[in-house]
Amino acid sequence: MAAPCSRMANRPLWRFITNVRRTGLKHTGVRQISLSSACRAATQTRSKTEGVPSPWKLYGAVCLQRLPVISQERNPIEDQFAELMHQMELERSLLSDHEQRLLEDSERMTRKQADNYDSDEEEADYGGQETITAQDQEDTWEQKLKHFQPALRDRDVGGTPLGSVERCLGDSLVLLVQQTVGKETIWLLPQAQWEAGETLRQTAERGLSSLPGQLCGEADFKATFLGNTPCGVYRYTFPKEVRTERCVGAKVFFFKAFLSAGSASQKEPFLWVKKTELQRYLKPPYLEKVDRFILNL
Amino acid sequence: MSIAVSRALCRVLSRQTAVPTNVSSLMGVDGHVSQGPWFASVLTLKTSAPLRAEPKKKKKVDPRREQMVRERLKKKLKKLERVPPELIPIEDFTTPAKYMDETRVRGAPQLPFEESERRALLLKEWSRYKQTQHRAEMEAVGLAVEAQREALEELRLESEELYQAALRPDPLLFPFNHQGPSYTPPKAQYEAPEGKYNNITKVYTQ
Repeated sequence: MAAPCSRMANRPLWRFITNVRRTGLKHTGVRQISLSSACRAATQTRSKTEGVPSPWKLYGAVCLQRLPVISQERNPIEDQFAELMHQMELERSLLSDHEQRLLEDSERMTRKQADNYDSDEEEADYGGQETITAQDQEDTWEQKLKHFQPALRDRDVGGTPLGSVERCLGDSLVLLVQQTVGKETIWLLPQAQWEAGETLRQTAERGLSSLPGQLCGEADFKATFLGNTPCGVYRYTFPKEVRTERCVGAKVFFFKAFLSAGSASQKEPFLWVKKTELQRYLKPPYLEKVDRFILNL
Repeated sequence: MSIAVSRALCRVLSRQTAVPTNVSSLMGVDGHVSQGPWFASVLTLKTSAPLRAEPKKKKKVDPRREQMVRERLKKKLKKLERVPPELIPIEDFTTPAKYMDETRVRGAPQLPFEESERRALLLKEWSRYKQTQHRAEMEAVGLAVEAQREALEELRLESEELYQAALRPDPLLFPFNHQGPSYTPPKAQYEAPEGKYNNITKVYTQ
């Protein structure tokens, strides 16, 4: 039992100790990992010289989305349909209390204005009180509504800058930053290189918190990460000059997060873009992978 | 009466045994020694006044009676408890009486032919629009799921440990709260007016 156990334990062990990643071998022994925990203690002191380091560098990136604040504008067909539904509902409904009151009041008015109006009879019924008609109430309510000024729906008329979170309030926006990767400075989702001893989600959180604005303390993003699982991956190989035996390329794992609270100032090179505007800033192969998990629903 | 009986007994006994004498100084009229009612002779029954008092007889019966009463009450309670509790009525399922009133009926409108045609066509267009929307949504969700599956595959190729860490559920995620979109954006520094309301919901207890 010890021999096969130790052999099975080998693969995860040196990975754990020497912080080494596997190459693209088919992992038939992977399923027995659960047994290895018992054997780990026994084989802790195994040699560290084993194993080939994986040629891929790992990065954790965060796809931070600001969810829509207001409802979207309606299409013409949606508009028509909404009107139709409203009309049909009105036709099929019964009279409400308020409407009945209105009817009664109007009847009373017509009776008052008739020639054979007997005020004593009327007052006997209603106790001689000065009743407020439903129409008067409606008028007072309308007056109150006019006093209230709601915030404007479309603030983009002035052309808010792309870096502001308050852009298109009806759509969900994604955060883009400019980072230097290799020799170029490109727009991409904030990412950080993976370090030993942390999960990829922690890498992504670090990538978010270590943005230039965050470090200065000016921009403060409070994000809720949606679980530990990455939502997408982008794999690319380095250009031939940089490529060595050890690192052939890099894999970027994306994690989704929602912005819960954030106050961004305009100075940092941030961009909040809609899904349709992504293609202006991201490179085509990168965009292809990223576009899939950014939902515009 | 018991005194008379004891005295009669004494007389009988003393006549049979006693010598006929003229000594009467110590003796009473009856002819036997009796120094008052409190000092009965040895031969009489021991019936002193404290023993003759009535109320002490109820000591044993009282606790029994009280216990019986308590048991009866408990049995009654158990019977009551066995009855299943009354069901709380669902107020949504009963149409309130005031909606059955005929005066509330709105006049049924007479729609012209064009209007009804327009409505039918609009409904059909709407169903087509919604179908395309639904298909697009399903496709988008499918792509996202596929992207996640690929990511997990790549991660597994890289490192088993990271893969296992990724599969673990996040306990801090729920309960997740988010304010949904409203018609107008929220106003900064807006003070909502204070209002009073009377809560008239019926609360049922079982």
